[in-house]
Amino acid sequence: MDRLLGKRRFPRRPSALTSKTLVDSVVRLNPISLVANPVMFIVELTFFVVAAMAVFPSAFIPFSSIGDRGFYAEVAAILLVTVWFSTLSDSLAEQQAKNTATSLKQLETEVPAKKVVTEGWERQIIRTESTKLQKGDLVLLEKGDVVPMDAEVLEGIAMVDESLVTGESAPARKAPGDSLIGGSRVVSDTMTARVVTNPGESYLDQMVKLVESSKRPKTPNEVAITMVLFGLTAIFTMIIASILGLSVTFGLGADLSVLIALYVCLLPTTIGALLPAIGLSGITRLYERKVVAKSGRAIETAGDTDVILLDKTGTITVGNRQAVELIPLGGRTEKEVGEAAFLSSWFDDTPEGRSVIRLAYEKGYVPRELNALTLSEVYDFSANTRTSGVKLHFGASFVLPKGSIQRVRRKFFVEDASDQGMHLSGEETEIVKGAPDSLKAGFRVPDGFQELVEKIASQGDTPMAVARDHEVIGLVRLKDVLKPGTREKINAVKAMSIRPVMITGDQPLTAKSIASEVGVDEFMAQVKPEDKYGIVLKEQSRNHVVAMIGDGTNDAPALAAADVGLAMNSGTESAKEAANMVDLESNPAKIIEVVLLGKQLLMTRGAVTAFSISNDVAKYFAILPVLFASTIPALRAFNILGLGLQTAVLSALIFNAIIIPLLIPLAMRGVTFKPSSTMSLFLRNVLVYGVGGIIVPFVGIKAIDLLLGAL
Amino acid sequence: MIDAIQAATVVAMLAAALASGSLLAPYVVRVLTGSPSRIDRFLDPVERRVYKLIGADPGLTMGWKQYFFAALMLNAAQMAIAFVILVGQGALPLNPQGFPGLNWDLALNTVVSFATNTNLQHYAGETALSYFSQMTAIQFLQFTSAATGICVMAAMVRGFRAGSTHMGNFYVDFVRVLTRLLIPLSLVAAVVLVALGVPQTVGGYVTVKTVEGASQTLLVGPVASLVSIMQIGTNGGGFFGANSAYPFQNPGPATDILQIYLMLLLPTTLVFAFGELVGKKREVLPILIASFGLFAIDLAIAFIPTLPAVGPGIETRFGGFFSTFWTVVTTAVTTGSVNASLSGINPLGILSAFMGMLIQATPGGEGIGVMYMMMYVVLTVFVVGLMTGRTPEYLGMKINARDIKLVMIAFLIHPVIVLVPTLAAYATRAVDAIPGFSSLPTSVGFTQVLYEFASSAANNGSDFFGAAANTPFFNLATAAVIFVGRFAPIAILLALSGSMVGRKRVGQESLRTDSFSFSFVLMGAIILLVVLAFLPFLLLGPLLAYFQGMVNFLG
Amino acid sequence: MGLSSSNSKWKTYRPVVVLSVLSMLVCGLAYPLLVTGISQAAFPYQANGSQAQLGGRSVGSYYIDNGFTLPIFFHARNETNPQTASASGVDPDILLADALSQVPRISNATGIPAASLDGLVMSHEQWTLFVTGDPYVNVLELNLALISAYPSVYSAYG
Repeated sequence: MDRLLGKRRFPRRPSALTSKTLVDSVVRLNPISLVANPVMFIVELTFFVVAAMAVFPSAFIPFSSIGDRGFYAEVAAILLVTVWFSTLSDSLAEQQAKNTATSLKQLETEVPAKKVVTEGWERQIIRTESTKLQKGDLVLLEKGDVVPMDAEVLEGIAMVDESLVTGESAPARKAPGDSLIGGSRVVSDTMTARVVTNPGESYLDQMVKLVESSKRPKTPNEVAITMVLFGLTAIFTMIIASILGLSVTFGLGADLSVLIALYVCLLPTTIGALLPAIGLSGITRLYERKVVAKSGRAIETAGDTDVILLDKTGTITVGNRQAVELIPLGGRTEKEVGEAAFLSSWFDDTPEGRSVIRLAYEKGYVPRELNALTLSEVYDFSANTRTSGVKLHFGASFVLPKGSIQRVRRKFFVEDASDQGMHLSGEETEIVKGAPDSLKAGFRVPDGFQELVEKIASQGDTPMAVARDHEVIGLVRLKDVLKPGTREKINAVKAMSIRPVMITGDQPLTAKSIASEVGVDEFMAQVKPEDKYGIVLKEQSRNHVVAMIGDGTNDAPALAAADVGLAMNSGTESAKEAANMVDLESNPAKIIEVVLLGKQLLMTRGAVTAFSISNDVAKYFAILPVLFASTIPALRAFNILGLGLQTAVLSALIFNAIIIPLLIPLAMRGVTFKPSSTMSLFLRNVLVYGVGGIIVPFVGIKAIDLLLGAL
Repeated sequence: MIDAIQAATVVAMLAAALASGSLLAPYVVRVLTGSPSRIDRFLDPVERRVYKLIGADPGLTMGWKQYFFAALMLNAAQMAIAFVILVGQGALPLNPQGFPGLNWDLALNTVVSFATNTNLQHYAGETALSYFSQMTAIQFLQFTSAATGICVMAAMVRGFRAGSTHMGNFYVDFVRVLTRLLIPLSLVAAVVLVALGVPQTVGGYVTVKTVEGASQTLLVGPVASLVSIMQIGTNGGGFFGANSAYPFQNPGPATDILQIYLMLLLPTTLVFAFGELVGKKREVLPILIASFGLFAIDLAIAFIPTLPAVGPGIETRFGGFFSTFWTVVTTAVTTGSVNASLSGINPLGILSAFMGMLIQATPGGEGIGVMYMMMYVVLTVFVVGLMTGRTPEYLGMKINARDIKLVMIAFLIHPVIVLVPTLAAYATRAVDAIPGFSSLPTSVGFTQVLYEFASSAANNGSDFFGAAANTPFFNLATAAVIFVGRFAPIAILLALSGSMVGRKRVGQESLRTDSFSFSFVLMGAIILLVVLAFLPFLLLGPLLAYFQGMVNFLG
Repeated sequence: MGLSSSNSKWKTYRPVVVLSVLSMLVCGLAYPLLVTGISQAAFPYQANGSQAQLGGRSVGSYYIDNGFTLPIFFHARNETNPQTASASGVDPDILLADALSQVPRISNATGIPAASLDGLVMSHEQWTLFVTGDPYVNVLELNLALISAYPSVYSAYG
């Protein structure tokens, strides 16, 4: 399972018992700060009662039949230690979470910044510190500079090394509109960027706030568990009060300290003590994978997800499709197709575009028109037309008044047009590449085109059409490269009755082939980014909990609408704003890990709850008969452990206390689970934590009893 | 232990109940959903006239609060009528024996008890109630309380149904349940009971000279009409103080088996009706398995000891086996009628009786059993969800913290209203007022007092004391417990269901509640909850008696 | 305004008041009286308590203990054995074995041969499960059979 959850990107910081943690845990014993944890609050109240019994035993007649101050003091001490174990687990978990958060936060230390101030037509650079920057300030970033705050590129294109923040070693190309992460480093060129956060407002700052338990509101799942704990507490309070009442009316002479000990043993102290720590550790586990959640609730919702929208690119496939074959059509040669593809991809610096150039180059198809590219008109890729291309102008040299990459749209008339075609001076030619169906309208299509397109698509590859002067001359076969381990993750997700839905801009046949290759049963093809919002709403209207990823501005509405929206840190500011989690590593496949981590958090809580409650049940059956057997001989058969009253009480109380620290590691690490259906998970949990939780106390209490007897 | 023939008898009785229940359920569904039926031709005009007469618009739909308050107000008005009749029976007709009116506290206890389907009786009918009271107070409330139970169950189930917008119309439900189900069924059963020897006359008690020449009074009266609705409606309050142990109420094996069958009939039918009412037939499975599985466990516990052919408190014509069988059935469906004295039943039989009254859903009283079972299902679904890391769903609806709060409160009411008055009865020395009762801490005494309040809280009505508990404390305390034990859970569970109205559904549930594994988990959860809450007290009562070697509670 | 408010109150409570009275009349009077009518017409014997006739007069009900105390009759209540205190206290049945154990006393008192009495008892055997279960006899039934079988012995009761 650990493989499914992905590696921790940080070495775990062992939360050793420092003096700071110890002091903190003692400070937390203050009853007022315990009110939020009702079970522990009650245990502390009982401590005060038994402590009073130890001091003034006579004041408690007729409820102090044992009358032994030493015994009362022992009981009181164990009660206090029980509460302390609980506060200690809080302190440890908070310390661990803070440590992890701090190591992420250290990425954002104070660095020098160059603030750009515009006065009239003058631009002035003021040297300052990152902490003094405000949202909206402009900063100049030159080669070697550290990005002082999260920012958005305004002008210029540069390469930025984000490895310190995200672990991704290859520098990223940043163009206007892209966002920059505070702490990353500019490795080439110069640009101007606008700061998008105030100091203390970045995700990293939000993250640190989230781990301070005092500010962390209870999540819905925690509220629900608290409700169950409250119900159990109410039942046990009533039982103990009734036994006390019976004892008084029947003159059975039960000692208050014994009843209190029984009461505390019955209370769900284990889960009550560990509940806050489990929640914090869940957050920590996300941080360790460099995912920043904006709320604890978001993590839980991730665990409740039943539909994951998976962007094919980046999640299922590595993202860069590789050109592997040139297929001429309509009597053209492979060379013609290769050269046209080369030209049309020259300005396309996506991995796909580069792979086209590489393929043509390797095959020796370097076009002679290369020089003409300097005077070309570039059609950038547009998501709407889903084409890109270039228009070349030959022979005419036309110098633009100023500026460099001005793109012109002008018709050149050349008088002596000959049949030499495009090689003639002043002639122009237009090369367009793109999705086959987007090249059908307004283009001449050779015979066999559609059949070939479908054939390539049905093989799971993507056909890309190349057209020259409104005539399709051939196809380039692009091959998708699957991410390793995807199939396994998809299977895990499906086993937990989560429905993965693949979303892709590809045409249906390609999508279908890839989806079936990785085991995704449902896919949506030819989806434009703005369609995602509708998909999310549609799934939600069928009452599904939807998780998705996104990075672009046009993903923002969908990210905001989705129950779990994981934004890529490399994405736009609006996307990150809309999402409730941000992946600092910008790895879309991490959405699956996030969902499994959420599930793990919920299951850890469930497992400890199950263990705690079955412990209570076991202690109930172990101790209650001892209480009755001491006054009613006929019930001696029920005292299966053969315990004496006082040692039984002490053993049970000690067991009750030490089980808390013993479970702290499980609470902080999270349970391991095999993805499977709800019922089989439940039965497994019942077996491990339920039945286990019933057996452990019997063994533990008897062992402690023997130990106490030996002392 | 029971022999093979007795075991076969039990299995055959349960099979008969299940078969009849599954056959009758579609008809009951038609009654509760207003679906067309062949008898519409006769009953539609009658019901239309009733709606016009009472001034209720049958097309009006109610939310949970309206529905609950309509039920509560109607029940209160009916109690008021019955109270006046009981207190004033001396001046009313059909009183051939000339019985005087009841004391106000006994009358209050009686009307609360009967209007809530409890039928705890602190009087002996043959020496306290006129024919008029037996008919217009007792039989009347036996009909209306059973009808009310079925109505509120129908309302609760409607809330859980997908696409629900309301909980129905209480007046329409109430009228239809009476005219189309309870009155016809009781009429037929009453005539069959008469044919089998149960008297039905308003001519007054008959005095004869016996064979040896002594004078003897035969306590005949309108018995059969009462017995049929008391069993069909899971009421349990008999014409006689000895209830169905009295020969005129239960002359022999044939009427005994018929009455056991009638007790089981509607509770079983309503379990089957649940699936169709909620819109998912398969959802009957967990409720059916859990209720009858727990019922079977209760029976198995009760049949552990050797059952004597005769013994104190046992009628010869029924023997130990039928007396014990009846005791478990009457508490499993919280009817509360008896065909033997509880004091004559083995402590393990009484333990089984306690289980029936503490769970209240095995399969439980008219309608209320299904409501409790739905409550247990919600709770179990929630716990399973917690343990598997999912927000729990039932019938496709997410179960939230507020739902669980309501369920918890509904569950917690029961132990409070059983334990607090039990302790109070001892602490205030109120038990001393019961003739012949020893207030010493004995397992026998404690069992009897605990049973009194467990029976009241579960709206069962069987008890050890009978008319001996006709003291101001027990009359008022049990009346209060009965009232809270009836209306508080109904209000809370209707509120729960009300919040389900229109709640979003997921297409596919992660946890299938209509599976065998869930059914057994549900059963385990119910046992655990009830054992947790009541073990110490059962340990001091029937279990202690059993371990002290007692074979009955006459010690 | 006072009128309209009391009007609307009546509108709210009218179903409650009228329906409770109506249901009382139907369930509490019409129903039991209808059952009484049918029963008296169809099953007058059972409906009036299944009374036993002896010498042209009613001597009690077959379902109620007739209170036999004379040694010449079978007894349903045997004071020497407190174990027989039943729930109702008026049931007329005793176990077959209890009936057989009374045969010597009756035989002594009447001179009827014990074997004949045994045979009479056996011929009136009933069972808690119709044809199986615990065997028992109805004492009134048995004694009436005794009277009709030995009219000379029981001439005072014919």
